[in-house]
Order: sequence, then structure tokens, then C-alpha cells
Amino acid sequence: MSADQEKTPEARPHRWQMVIDLDRCTGCEACVVACHAENNIRISGAQEAAEGRAINWIRIERYWEGEYPDVKAKFMPVLCQQCADAPCEPVCPVYASYHTPEGLNAQVYNRCIGVRYCGNNCPYTARQFNWFDPHWDPPLQEQLNPDVTVRQNGIMEKCTFCVQRIRQGKEQAEREGRPVRDGDITPACVQSCPTTALVFGDGNDPASQVAQMSKSRRGFHLLESLGTHPAITYLKRLDE
Amino acid sequence: MDVKRRTFMKALGLTAASTILPGCDAEVRHLVPYLLPDDEIVPGIADWYASTCGECQAGCGIIVRVMEGRAKKIEGNPDHPLNQGKLCAQGQSALQRLYNPDRLQGPALRTAAGPEGTFTATSWDDGVSRLAEKLRGADGRVIMISRPLSGTLAELLSTFVRSVGGTLFFYDPDSELSLRAAMRRGLGVPGIPQYDVAQATYLLSFGAPMLEQWLSPVAFGIAFGQMRQGRPTRRGRFVQIEPRLSLTGANADRWVPVRPGTEGLLALGVGRLLLTAGKADLSPKERAAFERFYGSIPLQEVATGTDIPLDQIKDMAQAFADAEHPLAIGGGTACAHTNAFAAHLAINGLNALAGNINREGGVRWYPDAPFREQADVEWLSERRIRELAQATAADNQRPLLLLYDCNPLFTLPSTIPIRRLFTNASFIASFSSCLDESTAMADLILPDHSRLETWGDHVQDGSSPRRGASLIQPVVTPLYNTRALGETILDLTRRLHPDAELPRTFAELLRKRWDGLAASEQSPPPTPPSRWVQHLQKGGWWPSSSTAVQKLRMALFPPAYEPAQFDGEASDFPLHFYPYPSPTLGQGRGANLPWLQELPDTLTSAIWGSWVEINPATARSYNIRQGDIVRVHSRHGSIDAPALHYPGIRPDVIAMPIGQGHTDYGRYASHRGANPLSILAPLFDAESGALALGATRIRLEPLAVPGNLVLLEHPGTKAGTDLLSIEKPRRVEG
Repeated sequence: MSADQEKTPEARPHRWQMVIDLDRCTGCEACVVACHAENNIRISGAQEAAEGRAINWIRIERYWEGEYPDVKAKFMPVLCQQCADAPCEPVCPVYASYHTPEGLNAQVYNRCIGVRYCGNNCPYTARQFNWFDPHWDPPLQEQLNPDVTVRQNGIMEKCTFCVQRIRQGKEQAEREGRPVRDGDITPACVQSCPTTALVFGDGNDPASQVAQMSKSRRGFHLLESLGTHPAITYLKRLDE
Repeated sequence: MDVKRRTFMKALGLTAASTILPGCDAEVRHLVPYLLPDDEIVPGIADWYASTCGECQAGCGIIVRVMEGRAKKIEGNPDHPLNQGKLCAQGQSALQRLYNPDRLQGPALRTAAGPEGTFTATSWDDGVSRLAEKLRGADGRVIMISRPLSGTLAELLSTFVRSVGGTLFFYDPDSELSLRAAMRRGLGVPGIPQYDVAQATYLLSFGAPMLEQWLSPVAFGIAFGQMRQGRPTRRGRFVQIEPRLSLTGANADRWVPVRPGTEGLLALGVGRLLLTAGKADLSPKERAAFERFYGSIPLQEVATGTDIPLDQIKDMAQAFADAEHPLAIGGGTACAHTNAFAAHLAINGLNALAGNINREGGVRWYPDAPFREQADVEWLSERRIRELAQATAADNQRPLLLLYDCNPLFTLPSTIPIRRLFTNASFIASFSSCLDESTAMADLILPDHSRLETWGDHVQDGSSPRRGASLIQPVVTPLYNTRALGETILDLTRRLHPDAELPRTFAELLRKRWDGLAASEQSPPPTPPSRWVQHLQKGGWWPSSSTAVQKLRMALFPPAYEPAQFDGEASDFPLHFYPYPSPTLGQGRGANLPWLQELPDTLTSAIWGSWVEINPATARSYNIRQGDIVRVHSRHGSIDAPALHYPGIRPDVIAMPIGQGHTDYGRYASHRGANPLSILAPLFDAESGALALGATRIRLEPLAVPGNLVLLEHPGTKAGTDLLSIEKPRRVEG
């Protein structure tokens, strides 16, 4: 905590949070491709996907309600909830899953030994296991983001809130000798979202958009009763 | 982040203006320790170049992240008025067009004795001189079919094709020709105007897939977010009318499952009710015309015909009349019938009845363009293609066919004899950068660069309030021995017309045109950086505020309504067939990109394949289990695909996504799924000649063998165990 925090001009640490407005989300999946492009997520192919081995750090869950003709489909983007009390963290025998000073549930790939306890313990199915080595038909490997590790067979992986983009935003602010401003840092999914259903920011900054929006009366958390205290607040979709 | 990216672009302006790309000369300062977690890795420095997306006709602004000479990611250009920094899944996946392993890597000739689709590499000089030779001998019988283009390339291409005595056509299966025809004749505009969804308070959509791949999906996405939650006290209501609940429809407050082909009839009913309550500012003469048009069918007949209860129609009309900013839009497969033109007139006439044409939250057209309107190029309707094919066969003409970035052999049903146009051609040259079904039939391929390797521009149409033009610039050095289409055309022109005065390169031509634009701007050009460099940094030019609106008035034409025609007798073919462009793969263009193949269809979570959507009740009556193969028969053929129980579809309709079923489109797309277009009947919209996608009737034959249906969601999961419902009982108690 110390070294990094001393460098930031503000005294308090950041607490990265997200708000997902389900009344804006159209299920267009721009966020899903943005995540794949940013985070070097492997292409699984039909066979592996059929076996349930496809990897998505963010997915759009679709819920059917009612029956024809009074049927409705609702969407919910689900990604790692970056829980404050994360069930995935204490079970790791090698401290590969750990809590960063800024409240992220991080994964140290080089420590991971692939026991998958963390995946078992995650109630949101946010953690995904690499059952195979990744493969890109040349020259598709040229698209890989050099700021993000490529995960190998036997490694658990998950959404990082685009920690490389957080880091980049902080370094930029530091170079310019100013604090990180609200809106400076956006994970790839948030950046791409056409309807602005996803909003990201520092929950410890009371003026930030994310802090304001998470107080909405439409707000709820996924599986709130488990006491995981997620960093993601969903805002309910309104009905007629 | 945005601010920083802009700073980057400004700082790198001079680099951006040249094609010199950053090399790998950065000094290595740190070795990354073995156990460093990702949150401690020091990020590299990237360059961002502004350009324009080419995945659909909208032309969103993009910025491309380039590191060590390689493009890494495409994002929306935050300065661009159309997409404001946002970008859809297809636009972001365009990176995989650059790095596609199946790209054509250089000019190639069809192997003399080999079968269709086998090619031998040749040199550019040989390829271009062969084509020049053929063009000289073609005696004006030249047909060029291209995807719709705008800007400098469109002008160059149309001048060139005219200079060899040929005809240039634009063809795009997504071009909504029936809607365009209705706009041209009804409102007198040469395109589709702006539908101001953002300011609408009641949106009545007749099947318009505005949140999928329709017109300008990112702009509509931004507007939708605004309409729902962008205003402090007001949330716009949204009703979607279509036989199958689409991704767009799933976002509506209410879905109205109308009977296929009766969308226009429903609009007539709503219009008839509006006439009594309407706020329209109509002259007595206009009013009489509207009354004739909308009063032609009794309301009870509308209710029976559309299969929508009269009360519901009355509610819709009332809500539309009461709304401050009501808006009616129509499009997509729901309006793709033989009566599409009349339906679009009836739908857009509702806007006139509500008095919201030329108004905020309504329909507006912005005539002021930065460049003169592009050359008059005919957009091919499917009926026109059939006429062309039949004409060449009848006259025994052997035209020379030029193809660019379109795939009519895939996107047209086999009942339209497009293949005959290809086999009758004396010579086929393709400029496409990937092998597809159409390019595979070429005699010569002169492959274009990828969009990220080339120069160009895109002029926005009159639906943009800040109507401008954006630039396309090379962000990486070309990977292969390909050549920009503009350069190939200049080379050909030089060989065919040695006396012509031509710019040295296409980039020079582009720059000249843009210098003209800079000269017409009022303020004197600053020094340095020049206007040109500024345009490149920003990604183009657009006015800082909304330009003037052209005052439009709606005119209506008889007939107000004619019943849609269907192919096949109801006794033999009891079900309607509804092939819709896949939200991920579009009309098949996206199928060779692995990111899009692996992108789950939001409503079904299906990936890497085709499926047939059946109402669960219909599936029960046919005894079809989810995942089992069904054979779909029309009068024109049959296709097989796994069945998927889909709650959001009328029981008398069977739907299927378009996009799969390629035979020759690279490793990711070929021999995967089935193409529903292949069994469609040759029925067209009477006015525009656009293919009536929803006009074919079918019957189902269950084969009772399991198919390869890959769903991302786990079908074995018990009901009530998902993330939302698992806590429901607890919530009720609490």
C-alpha cells in the first residue's frame, strides 16, 4: 500500500467502483469485444465452447420473463464484482488471488497452481480457468496488448477492472503532477459502451459520478445476501 | 482518459501526418520481475491515430492504438460528433480484418486449368496490365459492383468506370432501399433523415433494428441511452412492433407481435385514430389527402388483419397523440415485404400527423455538406440485379465484371440468377481483400489494403446534425503485397488514358480535395501545423454546432395499403419464414472474424453456428427438442439447422439469423451453419425492388437427430438458480 500511495497526490487510496444502469444496457455486446481486445482473451472455438471452456471476463446474461405474447427479455452484464469481502481470496493456498490496496480482487498468474478453489467459491462465476494453451492463428497474435499477460494452460483468470488502464491513468496524472480526475480512467468495457450504461470511477471521491450514481434508489448488488460487498452497483431497469 | 488520448493525438500530430511509423528503437529500462502481478506492470507508451470505421455505412470516427508499428486496439474517436468515443462490436473487431490469417496477400490470377477458386500469384504490373488489356477490349460492356462508398474514392471510381464506358453500381443488402424510396418520394430527401430518438418521449418502432446493425447503430445506441436516462425527470417510452422479438425489441417497454406483412396496415389504423386527435399542421388539401390515405381501411379490419386487439391499437394511438415528442420509425425484416414502400409511407406519415417533422425529437434533414454531393451512382436493388442477370443472358452479352468488397453470391437467394451474371461474364476482376464466394469466381484478384493501411475519407449523410467528413489514414505499414484500390484505379487510368492529367498518388488526390475544403473555411489557415495536419489529428472536419435543417413536408401516394404477397400456399407451407441479419455477424460480412464468431448472440447466447428459432408451443406441436436438427423447406430449397426454443416469436413464424453458411470465406466462416437467404423466393418490394426478406412461407421437417447448437449459457441449470431469481424469495420475506 505504502509506496504507491505515497506517490499519489491525494492522501486517501482509491476505491474503484462501477455502476451498471440496466435501464440503459441494450445488450449490444460492444463491451464484450472491447474486453477481448484489451485483455488478450483467447479465442476458444466451437468445440471448447461447447464443452463449457470458453472464456469471457464480461458476459451479458439474458433473462426471459413471462410467456408468449407477454414475454420480456432483460439483460445484465456480469463481470467480476471486485468484492470487498471476496469469497475467492481466502481459499487460495498460494496467495495467487489477493486483495489490492485499491480494493481489487487481483490474480497473480505466476503464483497460480490451478487448484480452482477460487473459481468454485465465486458465486458470480466470474473466474475462468484455462483448460488449454491459448492459440492465435498468425498473424492474429499481432493484436495482443503488450500491457497484459497472456495466460497459459492451468491458470485461473478474471476481470481486472483493466488494471493496466488504471495504472496508465495514474501514471499520466503523476507525470502531469495532478490528482487523477473523475473520468480519466475507464476500463475497456466502460469506454466502448454506446449507451453509457457502464460508469467507472473512484468511490472514495464523493463528487465522482460513480459515487453519486451508486446512491440511486434503483441501486442493488448481485447476491447481496452473501455479504460479499461488491464494488459494482446495478441500477434496476424500469418497467412501464 | 479521453483528455489524455487527445493530448497524445495532438502531440503526435506531425507523426500522424506522415506514414512513418514508430519503430522498435525504445531503450529497455526495466526487466519485469517474474512474480510481478498485472497491476504492477508499467504500461507501454502507445500512439493513437484517428481514422474512420468501414464496417458499415455509418462511418463512425475511430482512434487506433499503435505500439511498435502494430495496431493493437480500435476505440471510438471522442471528438467525432457521430459516435462520441463509442464503438460497436463490429467496429472494434475490424482489427481482425487487418490481421486476418485468410487475407489475400497479393495479386493473383485464376489458375488456367484449375477449378474455381484456385489462384496463382502474379505481379502488380502483370495483373494491372492484364486488366487494362481486358478493359480496352471490353468495348464499354463493363459492370462494376461495389459496396457503397463515399468521398474521394467514390468520385474516382465513378469517373474511372464512366471513362471506360461502363456502369458503377453500389450494392449493400443492408441499404433499406424501400425506406429510402419512401423518403425520396414522401419527403423529397436523397437519404434517410435523422430520427431524433434522444429527444423522443414515445417511440413507436415498426421493427426498426436500431440497436443492432441498422443505419447508424452507435449513434442510435447513444440516443437510446439519452432517451431512457439522459433527462432528469423524463424517461422516453418505447414500443416495438414485430413478429419476432429482436434485440432492439427486448429493450422496448412493450412488444407487439404483429402478423407478418401487416406493419403498414397497423400504421394505417394508428394514423386513422391520430387524424381525429392529431396536432398536425395540415392545409385542408393535405388533410384531405391524409384522410384518404389513412381512412381507406376500417379499424376492425385493421385489428383482424394485424392480429392486434383494437383496444391496444387505440392505446398506442392515444399515447402517440398525447406524447410531447412522439416518433415513428420502421425498418428491418419487419418491413421487408412486397408492400414495404407503402408501409414506410404509412409509418412515416404518422410523424407528419403528429406534427413532429423538422422538430426536436422528430424527423430532420441537414442539407449542408462539406463536399459536393457524391456522383450519382445507382444502388442496386435485388430486383435490378435479377434484371441485369437476365438481360446479359438474353442478349448473350459477355460483360466484364469488376467487384469490390461485396459478396452478392452469398447475400442473394439462389432464385435470383446472380450466378448467371458471373458465369456469363467475359472476365471478372475483384479488388476485395479477402476471398469470399464471389471473389472465388474471379479471373484476377487485385487485393485492396485493409482499412487500417489505406488513405481515404467518408462524407456523412444528411442525418448528421453536425454534418462533416472524416478522414481515413494508414495507421500501420501494409502487411502484404496489397495495393489501395485508389492506387490501382489511378494505375489503370494511366495505362488506359496516357494523356490524362492525374495526381501521382491517391493520397495526393485526397489531400487536394481537403485543401479545397480548408480554403473554403472562413478563418485563415494557421501555421504550423497546417489545416491538413489538424484534420488528420482530429480525424476529419465537422461544424462545431448543428447546421440548418431543411424544411420537409410529407406527401403521400396511393395505394395506401396492399396486402403483402407470400410465396407458397399456406396448406403446403404453413409457417412464415423470417431470416434476420445477425446482431453479431450482420449479413455474413462479420463471419470471418473470430471475435464476432465467438461473440454470443445476446438473446440466445449461441455462438459459432446457425439455429432455427421456434416458439416453444410450435416446437411442442411438432415434437422438436431444443438442439435437434430441423429441415426448413421452402418452394425453392431446404436447409438444416438445430432448433432453438425461443419464447419471443409468434407461433406461426420461424426465424433464423443470416450470416453463417459460407462455403468460401476463410477458415472461421467456411462450412459453418446454414444460409437462410438461399431458400428465399424472388419477391420484391413493388416500388424499390428490394428483396422481400419475410415473404417466403416454409414448412418444418423435424429430423430428430441432435445438431451442433453451442450455447454459452448452461441449459442444464435449473430454473430459479440464476443470479437474480436465487434471491427473490428472500427479498419477498425481507
